[in-house]
Amino acid sequence: MSEALSAPAQAPSASHKGRPVRRRKASFRHDNLMGYLFISPWLIAFFAFTFIPIIASFLLAFTNYDVLNPSWGWVGLQNFERMFTRDPRYIKALQATFFYAFMAIPLRLIFALAIAMLLNTNRRMVSGYRAAYYAPSIVGGSVAIAVMWREIFGRDGLVNAILGADIAWLGNPNTAIWTLIILAVWQFGSPMLIFLAGLKQIPREFYEAAAIDGANGWQQFWRITLPLLTPIIFFNLVMQLISGFMVFTQAFIITGGAPLDTTLFYALYLYQRAFVSLQMGYASAMAWVLLAIIAIMTALVFRSSSYWVFYGSQEE
Amino acid sequence: MRSRPSVLIMLLMVAALVLSACAPSAAPSVAPAADSAAAPAAGDGPIELRIAWWGSQNRHDRTIAVIEQFEQLYPNIDVVFEFAGWADYWTLMSTQAAGGNLPDVMQQDYARLEEWVSRGLLAPLDDYVADGTFDFSNVSESSLAGGRLGGKLYGVNLGTNSMMIVIDADKLAEAGMEIPNPDWTFSEFEQVATELHEKLGIYGFSGALSNEQLWKNVYLSLGQWVYSEDGTALGYEDDQPFIDYLNMVKRLQDAGVTQTREQELATGGGSVETDLIVTGRSAMTFLWSNQIVALANAAGEGRNFILLPMPRPEGGASANYLKPSMFFSITSQARHPKEAAMFIDFFTNNIEANETLMAERGVPISSEVRTALEPMLDVSQKQMFDYIASIESSVSPIPPPDVAGHADVINNVYWPLAIDPFLFGQISVEEAMRIFRAEANAVLAETAR
Repeated sequence: MSEALSAPAQAPSASHKGRPVRRRKASFRHDNLMGYLFISPWLIAFFAFTFIPIIASFLLAFTNYDVLNPSWGWVGLQNFERMFTRDPRYIKALQATFFYAFMAIPLRLIFALAIAMLLNTNRRMVSGYRAAYYAPSIVGGSVAIAVMWREIFGRDGLVNAILGADIAWLGNPNTAIWTLIILAVWQFGSPMLIFLAGLKQIPREFYEAAAIDGANGWQQFWRITLPLLTPIIFFNLVMQLISGFMVFTQAFIITGGAPLDTTLFYALYLYQRAFVSLQMGYASAMAWVLLAIIAIMTALVFRSSSYWVFYGSQEE
Repeated sequence: MRSRPSVLIMLLMVAALVLSACAPSAAPSVAPAADSAAAPAAGDGPIELRIAWWGSQNRHDRTIAVIEQFEQLYPNIDVVFEFAGWADYWTLMSTQAAGGNLPDVMQQDYARLEEWVSRGLLAPLDDYVADGTFDFSNVSESSLAGGRLGGKLYGVNLGTNSMMIVIDADKLAEAGMEIPNPDWTFSEFEQVATELHEKLGIYGFSGALSNEQLWKNVYLSLGQWVYSEDGTALGYEDDQPFIDYLNMVKRLQDAGVTQTREQELATGGGSVETDLIVTGRSAMTFLWSNQIVALANAAGEGRNFILLPMPRPEGGASANYLKPSMFFSITSQARHPKEAAMFIDFFTNNIEANETLMAERGVPISSEVRTALEPMLDVSQKQMFDYIASIESSVSPIPPPDVAGHADVINNVYWPLAIDPFLFGQISVEEAMRIFRAEANAVLAETAR
């Protein structure tokens, strides 16, 4: 293999500069090989557990494979057709997921930015607060927190105890999804940290100059902080978008998709089809459509970025 | 122009992120891990017998103890076992079936038996009955019938169950009411529940009345079955009996006699221990008969419960049948079917083994075992035995096992498209049944194809 690779590389370099160059290139390739060897545990795991399953799921998407039935085969685009024409729950899952994404992501980012601004001061104990506010996003995606959330919003839960009411938060189609959105907003830690880093990058002189010109805090926020922070917002938005469309654990444990499929998130429905109904082919097709949806949404955000993201180095 | 290359890179990034998260769902690889976790050191016996079951910790402890007894009796057989909770168990078994390495003996469920047999994954047991490996001399045919498909025996019933209404006897006395007639109809049931609710100010009933079990009960009582014989469509023509039933459910919910569907979902659980009857907030519920033991445990000392058969529609026969709680089956991939049969027979007939199991899987099918256990039973176990004995002669014949598309019908049609929209007041009950019939038939036809 190395011979096949070296032959074309050698030809042009030999005609120009001669031997020394070739030797350097050879040792460079040798170094590469060593590098690949060093990361081979990762590479092997990547191929075994990520790359091959990705290919397998792509192929399965065009079959009716259901684990138990030995007589499965190709069904062409039937899975995709069924999704959009003959599966009312699929449409509900799309609605629930988009509603969640469009509510939870902006709210979480706004919340994260607000807290980041509060923590971007030199008060005492501020690093302690930072750690404290970051904690929910470490534990927030966990099963334990989801179970706790179920209890908090349960009929005998904390919220009803405080309100002195008997409201079925998790059973009412209007409120159930909001308990999940609140949980998502509460996990504002990682975008908050990134915002905090971004805020520290903004030169103090800008604020000093603005203050001398008589700008109040509000004006400083809109004219200095927000514009200079747009690359960070952009980054956070893309990351949150991707994870937002893949939300699973919370709905799986807290609501199970109920009531009336208002919290039947895409990944949850995919799981149900794959592991409850064992329709692996259909579920694989759903996974690839999810990929397409997230790619399109992300592409839209990227496209729009030239209108609102401001890179300091760019001349407008 | 920096946008084009970065969009490409971004798409690749997204693909990697999304697909690596989705990958486990596309290609399950649970089997190896579970295998190694389950086996307690391979012995040097010439025969290794593999057994799998689902259940609670209590069941695991009892079953493992019986396996040890079996190994003492047959020192040349080394039993390797694996167990899991209900949902994980089926994922595990499906994966092993796909990989061709099913255990010799697997616990089976009545609802899945037909699906597994139709896919050639279970072996018929009749040869071992004929050669005397199985001794069914103390077992009635009605207790074995559930394991027969197309005239062949595919599973040995590990215990008999039936559904029942549990009434809190003290609440009933507090309301000054009589114990209802065991042949009660739904309208009598509605009256009793309503009266309990009005007199005591608690829920009259706390089970989920919209559960698909009740749908089955209604048609069973009327001498029909919910699925057609070939499993490609619903098996009944007349929606009216179930419409009447659902209207009653809605009346009870609207009157506050039971929880509304909204409150049911918010209470969640579905386990015996979280039933409102445990804390005295409800006067009645329904359970499978073996669950009375768990209910009595959860409710604590000094509580008295009355067990009654399920109510029936007007003019119907019994809405109860004797259900095999679970089976042991020998898989078609078994390496030692003969020894597997010996183990199942030991489980069924050995008195000592059943003294360890203590009817945890339901009332044992062997009359000899039942007699032997009788003096050792505690109050709630005794109630369970007596309940099964009291209905044995009057029950309806056991309906066929659920068809292959059953889980799909319940999860993707029954609840989301029919029952919930009706109970949440989005559609009329007639509309709900029309949708249910159309969509369920579509799913069933597709599964059978």
